[in-house]
Amino acid sequence: MEEKNKANENRSRVRDFAQDSVTQKDDHIKRIDNERFKKSEIAALAASGILLGSEKRAATIVVCDHQLICPLYELDGFEMLPISDALIRYSWFRERYFFNAIPSDLNDIVANCANEKNPLGFFIRVHQGAKVEMPCQAAMYMTKNHISQIVHNIVVLEEGSELKLISGCLNHPRVINGLHLALEEHYIGKNARLVSTMVHTWSGEMRVYPHSGTIVEGGGQFESNYISFSPAEHIVSNPQTWLNGKGASAKYTTAIIAIPGSKIETDGTVYLNAENTSAELSHRGVCTGGIMHQGGLLIGAAPCKAHVDCAGMLLDSGGKGIIESVPGLCSRHADARMSHEASIGKISPDQVEYLMSRGMEEHEAVSMLIRGFLGADIKGLGDELDARIEEMIEIAGHGC
Amino acid sequence: MNLLEIEDLFVEADGKELLRNVNLIIPEGEVHALLGQNGSGKTSLMMTIMGFSGYDITRGRIRFKGQDISDLSITQRAKLGIGISQQRPPTIQGVTLRNVLEHANKRSKLSFNIMELAREAQMQCFLDRNIHEGLSGGEIKRSELLQLLVTSPIFSMMDEPDSGLDVEALSIVGGLIHRLFSMDERCPAQQKTGLIITHSCNILKHLPVDKAHIMHKGVIGCSGNPTIILDILAASGYEACIRCMETREGV
Repeated sequence: MEEKNKANENRSRVRDFAQDSVTQKDDHIKRIDNERFKKSEIAALAASGILLGSEKRAATIVVCDHQLICPLYELDGFEMLPISDALIRYSWFRERYFFNAIPSDLNDIVANCANEKNPLGFFIRVHQGAKVEMPCQAAMYMTKNHISQIVHNIVVLEEGSELKLISGCLNHPRVINGLHLALEEHYIGKNARLVSTMVHTWSGEMRVYPHSGTIVEGGGQFESNYISFSPAEHIVSNPQTWLNGKGASAKYTTAIIAIPGSKIETDGTVYLNAENTSAELSHRGVCTGGIMHQGGLLIGAAPCKAHVDCAGMLLDSGGKGIIESVPGLCSRHADARMSHEASIGKISPDQVEYLMSRGMEEHEAVSMLIRGFLGADIKGLGDELDARIEEMIEIAGHGC
Repeated sequence: MNLLEIEDLFVEADGKELLRNVNLIIPEGEVHALLGQNGSGKTSLMMTIMGFSGYDITRGRIRFKGQDISDLSITQRAKLGIGISQQRPPTIQGVTLRNVLEHANKRSKLSFNIMELAREAQMQCFLDRNIHEGLSGGEIKRSELLQLLVTSPIFSMMDEPDSGLDVEALSIVGGLIHRLFSMDERCPAQQKTGLIITHSCNILKHLPVDKAHIMHKGVIGCSGNPTIILDILAASGYEACIRCMETREGV
C-alpha cells in the first residue's frame, strides 16, 4: 500500500513537470557549435561519453533543456533528424514507429507526449545493410533548474544494418532539481545489430525516469549497456524488450553506484516470443549508502534460453544502504530454458590483502575490486569518461 | 648483512598457537628452504612475514633490512621489497592477471614486456581471464611466479612452487624461479634473497639453496646444510628428523 502511494506521488510530480515542459518548450533547431558550450560543459559532456567535434563519432545530437541541436545527417545509408521533422517528412513514420514499442497510455506524461504536435527528440534510421562504423552520440543535457526535459527518441535499424549509439545524460552542476524523462523506442530489423550504451551523470535532486521499448526481429541483436556512477536522487528504469523473430537476442548489462540519498531502481523485462531467442540480463551494483533495487523478468513463450543475474556489493559502513535483488522468471513454454541468480556481498578482505601483497595501496586494491565487480573496464568511450569512472570508483571505495 | 631476522616469534590465529619461538636469519643474497610436513607451520610463517591478517604476533619481532616490520601493513612490506607466491591464492571476479601485472609494472623500475614474460611462463592465454579462475595447480603457480617477477621483490617467498607438477611443468616453473633469483639488475653481482617452502624438494634440483630448515609443530627444529638434510630426508623421511629434533629440543 505504501509502495502504491509512493508510486502515485511520483506520478503526480511527473505531471507537474510535464506542464512546465509544454510551456517552456523551444523548438528552435540549431547546428551544433562547439563555441555554444563553455569548456567546462564540453568536459562534462565528454565525461558522459559525448565527445563534441570528435572524429571518433559518426554523428552528434544534443538535447539541451528543451532545445534540440540536431544537424540533419543523410550519409551512407544513415539518417538522423528531429522526430518532429520525421513526422512531417515520412507519411509512414507515425503508423510504423510512433509509440509502437511504448504504449502511449503508459501514464499521463507519456500520453501528453504522444499527443504533442511538435515532440522533442530525434529519429535515427539505418538503412538496409548499412553498417555505421563509428558510434553515433546523443546528449540529453539539462542546464536549468525546476524544469522537466521530456524526450522521445526513435531508432530504427533496417534488415542487416548495424549501429552503435552512445547516450550521455547529465545536468549542469548549478542544476539541483529537475526531471528527465526519456522515451526510447528501438526497432531492430532482421539480422540487424544495435549496441546502445547509456551513461548517466546526474547530481542533486534530479529525478530520472527513462522508458524504453525494443522490438527485435529474427536474427536481430540488441545489446544495452547502462552505466550510472553519479546517480540522480531517484532513477527508475524498466526497459521492455520483445524478441519476436527466430534467433533474436538481447543482452543487458548495468553497472551502477548508489550513493547516500539516492534511490535507483533498475529492472528490465524481456519477452522471448520466438524460437531460439536468447536473453541475458546482468545487473551489477555497488551501494555506498542509498537504496538500490535490481530486478529483471524473463518471460519465455517459445523454445528459448535466458538468464538474469543480479549482483550487489554493499559498502555502506553507516548501516543505511539497502540493496534489494529480485530476478524473476515466467515460463509459458515447456522448452523455455531460463535461470536466475542473485548475490549480495561485501568486498572480500582476502582479495584486498592479496592485491596489497602485490604492492597496491589498500584504496587501490579496493578500487580494482570494485571496477572488476562492476565490469567497468569499458573501452572506447573516451579518456574523460574513463577518468570520471575512476574517480567515482575511488570515491565509492572510500565507503568500505 | 642480514636481510631477514626473525627473533623469538610466537604467532596465533583464533586463539590457537601456530608458531612458537621461531628464530630465523636469512642473509642478503641467500636462498633458504623451509621443509616440513603438512600442518607444521610453514605457510603460517610466510603469511606472518607478509603481514596477512589473522596471524597475530603475540611475542617476538620480524626485522627486514634492520627495520622492525611487525606493525607494517602488507603494502608497506611489499614496498620494502617482500614478495610472496601463494599456494592457494584467491580467485577474483573481474580482475585479470593482466590488470595486476600492468599495475605492478607501472611501479616497477624495470618496465617488463608483459606479453614476453607471459609467453615465457606459457600464461599468455590467461592474461585476460579472471585471475586464477579455472586454473590448474600448475597454472596457478606460474601465475603467481609471473606476478613475483614483475613486482621484482628483494626477498621472494614461495609456498610449494613444485607440488603436483609434472616434469614439463616443473621445468617451466624452475625456469621462472631461476630467472627470479639469478639476477638482480640493481646489483648484478648479487643473487636475490628468498625462502622456498616445500616438502617434496623437487624444485631444489632447479635452484641451489644455501641453507635448509625443518619445521615441526610450529618450531624450526633443525637448520643446516641443505644437501645433508635432503639426503637424510630422502633416506629416512621426516620421521628420523622429528625423532632427532624431539630428542634434542624436547619439541
